Amino acid sequence: MSVLVLALLLSATPHAPQQAGSALLDPTREARVQALGKMLRCPMCQGLSIADSGSSAARAQMDRVRELVAEGKTDDEIRAYFVARYGEWALLEPPAHGVNWLVFLLPVALVLVGALVIGRLVRHSSVAQAAGAQPAPSPASADPYLDAVRAELKK
Amino acid sequence: MLVLLAVAAAMGLLLFAFATLFGKDPHQVPFGLKDKPAPDFTLTRLDTGETVKLSALRGRPLVLNFWASWCGPCQAEHPTLARAAKHFGGEASFFGVVFEDTPEEARKFARPMEPSFPQLIDPQSRMAVDYGVTGVPETYFIDAQGIIRDKFVGPLLDMQELASRLHALQQATGPVGASR
Repeated sequence: MSVLVLALLLSATPHAPQQAGSALLDPTREARVQALGKMLRCPMCQGLSIADSGSSAARAQMDRVRELVAEGKTDDEIRAYFVARYGEWALLEPPAHGVNWLVFLLPVALVLVGALVIGRLVRHSSVAQAAGAQPAPSPASADPYLDAVRAELKK
Repeated sequence: MLVLLAVAAAMGLLLFAFATLFGKDPHQVPFGLKDKPAPDFTLTRLDTGETVKLSALRGRPLVLNFWASWCGPCQAEHPTLARAAKHFGGEASFFGVVFEDTPEEARKFARPMEPSFPQLIDPQSRMAVDYGVTGVPETYFIDAQGIIRDKFVGPLLDMQELASRLHALQQATGPVGASR
């Protein structure tokens, strides 16, 4: 029943009519089109590339990429075409310059800091063990409940 | 000591990242064509099949509205645009561009509305991609020299808002001959 209601609702909701994409190019150039499409962000989707999105707007952008490849434009020129319209937001991988460097440097910096902290902790504990600083557990524990359990077990 | 310094440096980097990146809407798509020449187009009218070229429209401000029949907000804003076209038609040209739709559906949408301003068919949305459209409705304001001065994302429901943008368009003076 719920499936029927959902189907009726979906059929009643206006939607963008699916249009066929432009004709594929030869395998080598089509591979370039797909690779470029994977790098470009779909403006109507959430974090999807135009090659991975099923939206009609993404299809329109893929058609444009195909057209630009067919015109003999280089990958840089095609990326520049989309950056000119949507800014660097259009690139799924931000180019390494300016504040974008943070994206590449922060993870490395955090891993290094983590490694440093772990290294210090390990060294500290091994030094303490070697010096015998760790006192042997006394048979009479400071915990009265533990003593009570031991006494019960001895009975 | 070294650990403390490293942690402080990492925290500093994080704070810098938050300070520079917070406050921006990650869903807002930047508009790179502001104050740039409007890309030329040649499209056909939905009603007459007549060809319309951007270069032939130069000399008057131009309002370009991207819409689709499947878009609810487009239906809501259309009466405002129709009134604006009637009211400001002497000062600026108004054109609608059908986005990701079929001519049949677009005609069905436009028919009940009174004939207000011409609608153009954009096959495969090539022109929309050229203009950096991110969805519908979107309305572009292009000055008499063919420079894109502004764009409004979403339904334009306020006549006053439209009037002030048109006024700004008339005030704007672009570099003559910069458009292609």
